[in-house]
Amino acid sequence: MTKKEEAWIGLFVGVPILVVPSVVAVFIAYDKGLSFALLLMFTGTVVWGGLLWLLPYIQRRFRKDKKVITFDERDQLIHKRAVMASYVALWLYFVAACVITWCLVGPNGSISVNVMPLTLVGGLVLFNCVQGLASLIQYGRGTKNGAK
Amino acid sequence: MAQNELKNQIRRLRFENGEMTQQQLADKVKVTRQTIIAIEAGKYAPSLPLAFRIARTFNVCVADVFQYDNDTAQSQ
Repeated sequence: MTKKEEAWIGLFVGVPILVVPSVVAVFIAYDKGLSFALLLMFTGTVVWGGLLWLLPYIQRRFRKDKKVITFDERDQLIHKRAVMASYVALWLYFVAACVITWCLVGPNGSISVNVMPLTLVGGLVLFNCVQGLASLIQYGRGTKNGAK
Repeated sequence: MAQNELKNQIRRLRFENGEMTQQQLADKVKVTRQTIIAIEAGKYAPSLPLAFRIARTFNVCVADVFQYDNDTAQSQ
């Protein structure tokens, strides 16, 4: 599977299948009063969603068939730029979330603490989406002439 | 440095060296075929070690494989 295909899969499969259901599971467990499961699943979601970008490097390290090159310097550069773009988007998202919340609620208002994990989940989804999009855009630029 | 300032002779050198395919060249220099395609199309500037590996594969020096277009660079 090429890196471009992995980016498509991550964008349209990874986010809706992995991130969103795991978050729903967290809130269902919370609703049922399972506080221990809540902490465990939420930590897992944050770690998984926040550190998933390391996966290509780990795969490369432990790949059995080292003769077949699947992640070379160009893939590494594209991946690095995509992750950087994701973190920039994540930062802007949190800035917007803080400012918009403050504008909507007002200086003397208050909001539920449930907004905080929801904001974090939104950030994770955004992170994965931006990473997938950035990867696809960069791969699309570099492979106009695919013929031999 | 913009990628379109860097020209290369990889396609010509491939055909001069036993009509080497992009996949064969990719295997020799340890990159993917997509990277070779991007380099030939001028969409990607290789790293220095990769440029040297490509040159050594064809038994030529790096300057024979890659040329820097100074006129394009100065006009930008």
